Amino acid sequence: MPEYVAPTRDMEFVLFDLLDAESTWRRIPALSEVTRDLVAAVLEEGGKIASEKLAPLNQIGDRHGSTWSAEGVKTPPGFKEGFRALAEGGWLGVAGDPIYGGQGLPKMLTVALEEMFYGANTGLYLCGTLTVGAATCIANHGSEAQKALYLPRLYSGEWAGAMALTEAHAGTDLGIMRSRAEPVPDGSYRITGTKIFITYGDHDLTSNSIHLVLAKLPDAPDGTRGISLFIVPKFLVDPNGSLGARNTFSSGSIEHKMGVKGSPTCVMNYDRAVGYLIGEPNQGLAAMFTMMNYERLSVGIQGLGTGDIAYQAAKSYASERLQGRSPTGAQKQDAPADPILVHPDVRRMLLTARAYNEGGRAFAALVGRELDLAKYSPDATERARAERLVGLLTPIAKAHLTDRGFEACVSAQQVFGGHGYIAEWGVEQFVRDARIAQIYEGTNGVQALDLLGRKVLRDGGATANEFIASMRADVNLVAAEFRDALEVAIERLSDVTKRLLARAARDPALAGAASVDYLDLFALTTYAWLWARMASVAPPDAFGAAKRHTAKFFFARLLPRSLALTQAIDSDSDAIMGMPAASF
Amino acid sequence: MADFRAPLRDMRFLLYDVFDFEAHFARLLDRERVTRDVLDPILDEAARFAEAELFPINRTGDEEGCHFESGVVTTPKGFKDAYRTYVANGWTGMTGDPAYGGQGLPHSLSLIVEEPMTTANMAWTMYPYLSHSAMNALERHGTPAQKQRFLTLLLSGACTGTMCLTEPQAGSDVGILRTKAVPNADGTYAITGTKIFISAGEHDFVDNILHLVLARVPNAPAGTRGISLFIVPKFIPRDDGSAGDRNGVQCTGIEEKMGIHANATCVLSFEGATGFLVGAENEGMRCMFTMMNAARLGAGMQGVGVSEAAYQASLAYARERLQMRAATGPQNPGGPADPIIVHPDVRRMLLTQKALNEGGRALAYYTGQQADLAEFGPLDQREHAESLLSFLTPIVKAFVTETGFESVNHAVQIFGGSGFIRETGIEQYVRDSRITMIYEGTTQIQALDLLGRKVMLTQGKALLSFVDELQRVAKQCTVPLPDVGAALDRIAGEWATLSLATGVRGASDLNELGAASVDYLMYSGYAALAYCWARMALVAARQLNKGERIGTDPYLTGKIATARFYMTRMLPRAEMHKRAIEAGAGVLMQIDAAAFDHN
Repeated sequence: MPEYVAPTRDMEFVLFDLLDAESTWRRIPALSEVTRDLVAAVLEEGGKIASEKLAPLNQIGDRHGSTWSAEGVKTPPGFKEGFRALAEGGWLGVAGDPIYGGQGLPKMLTVALEEMFYGANTGLYLCGTLTVGAATCIANHGSEAQKALYLPRLYSGEWAGAMALTEAHAGTDLGIMRSRAEPVPDGSYRITGTKIFITYGDHDLTSNSIHLVLAKLPDAPDGTRGISLFIVPKFLVDPNGSLGARNTFSSGSIEHKMGVKGSPTCVMNYDRAVGYLIGEPNQGLAAMFTMMNYERLSVGIQGLGTGDIAYQAAKSYASERLQGRSPTGAQKQDAPADPILVHPDVRRMLLTARAYNEGGRAFAALVGRELDLAKYSPDATERARAERLVGLLTPIAKAHLTDRGFEACVSAQQVFGGHGYIAEWGVEQFVRDARIAQIYEGTNGVQALDLLGRKVLRDGGATANEFIASMRADVNLVAAEFRDALEVAIERLSDVTKRLLARAARDPALAGAASVDYLDLFALTTYAWLWARMASVAPPDAFGAAKRHTAKFFFARLLPRSLALTQAIDSDSDAIMGMPAASF
Repeated sequence: MADFRAPLRDMRFLLYDVFDFEAHFARLLDRERVTRDVLDPILDEAARFAEAELFPINRTGDEEGCHFESGVVTTPKGFKDAYRTYVANGWTGMTGDPAYGGQGLPHSLSLIVEEPMTTANMAWTMYPYLSHSAMNALERHGTPAQKQRFLTLLLSGACTGTMCLTEPQAGSDVGILRTKAVPNADGTYAITGTKIFISAGEHDFVDNILHLVLARVPNAPAGTRGISLFIVPKFIPRDDGSAGDRNGVQCTGIEEKMGIHANATCVLSFEGATGFLVGAENEGMRCMFTMMNAARLGAGMQGVGVSEAAYQASLAYARERLQMRAATGPQNPGGPADPIIVHPDVRRMLLTQKALNEGGRALAYYTGQQADLAEFGPLDQREHAESLLSFLTPIVKAFVTETGFESVNHAVQIFGGSGFIRETGIEQYVRDSRITMIYEGTTQIQALDLLGRKVMLTQGKALLSFVDELQRVAKQCTVPLPDVGAALDRIAGEWATLSLATGVRGASDLNELGAASVDYLMYSGYAALAYCWARMALVAARQLNKGERIGTDPYLTGKIATARFYMTRMLPRAEMHKRAIEAGAGVLMQIDAAAFDHN
């Protein structure tokens, strides 16, 4: 069974050497007490939990799966203890509001912790991430009373969270949902409807479960402007938090899925369930959206975490498995064959996974920093800028990290050859688990449209150009060997963006036709910038040498993909839209 | 669950209009001449069998899987019955030697009829498909007596076959296998060893199984030059063909896998089992290769098949699923939303699938023709066909399975959350197809074979003649489809130059060969598919220009639109592979092994 080791060395490198997190924290009052020593200790401790408590349950979770009965959903053996380790260690409240029992630590740090927990056990940690997500939503939009009631118990993991958006006919298109919320005289609501694909909609990990449910009030406007958000607890609670009657909702069944089998995916039936409005009526989607940036980044990190454990497994296998001789002559004379790490193409696959994982880790931390600045910076201009960058970079983080994470898992499986296909070796599980991350929290196609349509075209390219300019400003600061290639890459992105702005005005289908390739191009260019900078600040030791080498590999063998993407983006949307519908 | 219809229109278009198989079959020697009136009913029956008998047990087979208990494997419900129908309808002997009970039809036909079957049910189709590989090996390398004794049983369907190569320590590196073959006094051999990953190694379709096993005779040279091939029957057949004494081969377990659950992947333990030498001692690899080449084309066809299944499901879903409005305004004003096929990115994914399926199918048919010609063609054409077949086989195996996997993943994406749910059957295609990039020689092994053996070792002989063929077709495109022709001509010229440069570098440093190989294979695949698309578009353009259906047949206009999509949106991927090849081995090899350690 694959083991998991948290990449703490690289995480510290990204935080302190690449992004100089300390100087950011020093100048922000809310984070001024965060130090490198503290963060290093937290990372080490988090890594231990991941390796010792979560990873050993990963394959069990897949094998056993969650099971449904009329009494409720049972999670796989050991999941309760695993979740308790997360809860009791305070890992769900790391970034929570200190007024309500959170630790107020930066997002930049929790990004690294999330990677560990997902990498070690996605199926289990999904319950953690939903709990953190529900807390974030309540912290942003709840009333004081709601915050005081729910936040401490979510941060401590005494209760868990769940989010109920999707209905059978309303997935990407939430505007057409049908669940209803009827006001009753005591100020609460009665929620009726059926939701599907509800992760951890029911389970046995905690004593209570707090559902955030989207539904329509009577006479609500059509579409997304008529959706409200409700807190719907599994057990009703009195103001001091003690549990009362069971609320009238339950899980009708769970899905049989390709992967993340440890995590139950529930059909939820709400039958006049008691709910409490959170935020304003008809503003539910807006409330959801503020937390969507966090959720989307989190799902991106899921892709990264799974991609990284897959790399770890493949790397170990490649060092041990003896098969064939090195093309330049035997390297291990006394053995029947050489370790497959001698073969150029095995190295290509490993380096591809590694370059995307480490690039993704840096990218996620960067988005984490902007989230911190948007939330905590004392300077309104800086907050606004960070907010814009978060909007621009979040869809990229979600889609690119999950696409490349899946690719890393598939490459790792290929390194394993036939064994990669056999359940016992554990690698095929990573492929099955990683696949969902490209779909949920908005499919990667939806992310790409969000990036190109909303974030780039809508403001006439202003935010995109602002970010491109910030990369451009670094060109002369990076190591000489990357300077020219980085400049070419940045100018290519800049030119493609300009051309898209000009063409989109006369071609309404263009945004959709070019979006996925544009997101990839944007990501590759940003990774090139990060890799050039990482190579430039890498220390003069073996760790630094590996960084510089991986940077070279990225520029030589992965960045050229931008040429293919540019040609595809520049092509007319007619190549896609001109096909008669009947000809499919 | 989605429905499945064999793509008969596309199959016939390729057979009759693009590649003129009637004329092709007429040229073959020693094979039954197959005309359209013979071929059409065969295609219709293959389609019917696939749709009605195999497709309905695909999902259930995945859920139920194979069961193992004390050496006995039980296949899922319906699997055995489907095999009975398959045998009764005469499919097992279709392309076999008539002297041993076969029908003598050309080999390419088995590749062609296998497609709808593997599309409908990949796990099931692997059982007869392994028999087919065993038939090929025996037909070419068996003695007349062995053919009489064993081949007849395979052709009649009374026995199925397997290929036993892999051992726990010997996968891609077949040369280090350890299974022993000790000569017995009666001329047979006693085979002892353990083989793993043996597809269809044990099952309940029929009583007897003929294992083709690689093993070493005493004092055999080290490596692949010391390997011999043996027939090891589960039951030693009596003279009348009935199953005789139980041989010393046991199934000791089956693997739990990511996919193809309904195909038993067996561990086989040979303990002094009686084996019959095929060919000469130490010539086993050569014999195995003849069966492997056909098997590799078959694996490529699995890439086409699973992608076709995924495309059909995607298309049906994209037309039904209502979600959001079209960018240019509502297309389905009566409904709450538009069908998702209006969205450009959904179309991009569908077109990518279509371009890969139909392109892959065309490439497999073209390669299948070369296989026929290499064996049964006019004598003066055989050498050329053989060299083209050797060159194209690794491309079909690796490129078409890699792109097949891409295609099935697009299907999951088009289905959104439902794609991840087992009930819809889509995620099964991802799990099933993933093995095609691994078995029968991984993509990496195919890529080394292509660049090292098929291009460099021959100084690019087959490649350069194929490039000429690309340029010839590019010229034909000039009038009706100048853009398609220009794209094909450009890639053809570049392919030749790139191959030469890569070959020169690879000859001086073998690490360069390995470093370039997979990107070179993918590049070659995109170039070869450009050729196939140009040929299809040309025929479509000609048909649209004549006849009474001028410009209106959506199948034909779709061919041209897809060719243009391929050239504009997919062929540019070749450029990234070219750049990666040109980047060389340094960035892969100059990094210390310890630097791969995780931080």
